[in-house]
Amino acid sequence: MSGSKCTRLSGALVKQVLDSVDCVLFDCDGVIWRGDQAVPGAPQVINLLKEKGKKVFFVTNNSTKTSKMYVHKLSTLGFKASEGEVFGTAYCSAMYLKTVCGLEGKVYLIGSDAMRDELEAVGIQQTGVGPDHVSGKPSDWANVPLDPDVKAVVVGFDEHFSFMKVNRAMQYLTQPGCLFVGTNRDTRLPLEGGKAVPGTGCLLQAVEMAAQRQAQTVGKPNHFMFDCVASKFDVDPARCLMVGDRLDTDIMLGSNCGLKTLLTLTGVSTVAEAEAHQKSGCAERQGMVPDYYVESIADLLPALQG
Amino acid sequence: MAGAFGFKGCQKIRGPQIRKLLEAKDFILFDCDGVIWHGETAITGAAKVVSSLIRHGKNVVFVTNNCTRPRENYVHKFYRLGFTDVMLEQIFSSSYCSALYLRDVVKVRGQVFVMGCDGMRRELEEAGISCVEEADEPGATIYDCALAPDVKAVLVGHDDKLTFLKLAKASCYLRDPDCLFLATDNDPWHPLSGGRILPGSGSLTAALEVSSGRKATVIGKPSRFMFECISSQFRGVDPAQCLMIGDRLEVDMLFGSNCGFDTMLTLTGVSQLEEAQEYKDSELTDKHRLVPDYVVDSIADFLSAFEEQEDQEEQSN
Repeated sequence: MSGSKCTRLSGALVKQVLDSVDCVLFDCDGVIWRGDQAVPGAPQVINLLKEKGKKVFFVTNNSTKTSKMYVHKLSTLGFKASEGEVFGTAYCSAMYLKTVCGLEGKVYLIGSDAMRDELEAVGIQQTGVGPDHVSGKPSDWANVPLDPDVKAVVVGFDEHFSFMKVNRAMQYLTQPGCLFVGTNRDTRLPLEGGKAVPGTGCLLQAVEMAAQRQAQTVGKPNHFMFDCVASKFDVDPARCLMVGDRLDTDIMLGSNCGLKTLLTLTGVSTVAEAEAHQKSGCAERQGMVPDYYVESIADLLPALQG
Repeated sequence: MAGAFGFKGCQKIRGPQIRKLLEAKDFILFDCDGVIWHGETAITGAAKVVSSLIRHGKNVVFVTNNCTRPRENYVHKFYRLGFTDVMLEQIFSSSYCSALYLRDVVKVRGQVFVMGCDGMRRELEEAGISCVEEADEPGATIYDCALAPDVKAVLVGHDDKLTFLKLAKASCYLRDPDCLFLATDNDPWHPLSGGRILPGSGSLTAALEVSSGRKATVIGKPSRFMFECISSQFRGVDPAQCLMIGDRLEVDMLFGSNCGFDTMLTLTGVSQLEEAQEYKDSELTDKHRLVPDYVVDSIADFLSAFEEQEDQEEQSN
């Protein structure tokens, strides 16, 4: 199939591609839902895929929900799903610390309650969640007491992000042997009305700059999230399809893990961007070129219903 | 004095060599933290050195990336620590220079959103620049907060009251390509006394660069702009007449190189001699710009140069 990338998926090709895979992984934001609304036709697509015996997984860089919270949102929007099928970065970061890092000790966490919950579910205690404002003088901040049990700093999305949090993280990270993990590097979440919400990537960069250290990130495009899926389910990468809306995270993950890739245009990236990567001649950028694209995943319906 | 073709010697010098160097220079530029003081403690001998230089007719200026105080407060600090002959006009901080940049270079019309400290806001207000009101409505979030109209620049610096909402608002203002993006400095961390550190302006600037997808224009060292402020105030300064004395290779020495000055590293602050040697031995020629021409253990080493000079002057009288 080399050379025939970035093909529009339509007509007979849809059934052909779906028959060639046993397992479909979906990103969430911009693919199956936008904000709190399902993409029209998306619930039927997922439910029909399952009826036809395909394994379906949800793989998202969003760290603000536990697997349980995701299942709740999925059901509310009409998608049939169970906790085991959901892989968010709150869950995957906890698994990474437990199984890959073998962490014994506490985490200093810049992140959400969901991240705290997923850490506790694997037996890892944290400190740091919630508001944290400065008080006192600069010398107090530089001498902030450090919990001797903290052996890792973890950064995810945190609406309580503050100077004091960057400071504490930096102080812990100057200690030798302190691990440094980030959930993902997404730069922003688009909102209606010309506003934009800074993403975890911004918060992570602030801490990396202050500490002069690079974090290991768990989320897409790092292969770890696929490793999580593969560790729980019997999947053959060559018979998996990754469906996403971002070339630099979803499609890149697919390429990194040897999956087939499908770009949907209901989210962030465009076909023009994909073609620009393709024509660039740059080897690193080829991983961001999807095998196929559709306007919306609803385009898969005719083949599933037929 | 400096080697030919900009070669930086990283040469440790003492009494007679220091005297000879100072004879050839009209303008002495000092960094502050780690050079003349540590926190609230003057470095031993520093006040006497500064005083002697001024008495010997040198132009002495202080060039600091520390944006947390307005210049009036710096004058008080100088006085408190024993530098009793330092005047407002000799002090160039990154917040003061940011105000000059906005007022004189950009000639900003409209408001500035400051992601920074009171020291920065006061310098801007002194220069007649209007800043967006800082306080947020209680319970406001980025989803429902009001954005100020007519914001023509975002200025980032040291902000210990940083919140997610401020970061989000700044990112929104920067979506307008006509809104300028300025940073007081890019230092990743700032040293306090006793080897402790705090996150620097560079850390917050990095966050905003990621969320906006834009690069900040940096006012402070190692950018040349602070020298342009100095030069315009002193009606023209010849770089060949300047000696920059600092303690951070990546900030002070690079600033000196960028402006064409001779540079001196003092070892009372952040950078170690070994680091300077590593840059000197580096295969990347860019790194050579971070190497100082001269090195002293402390600026107190200048005192022996003055003593010899004063002895000579006495003998000839």
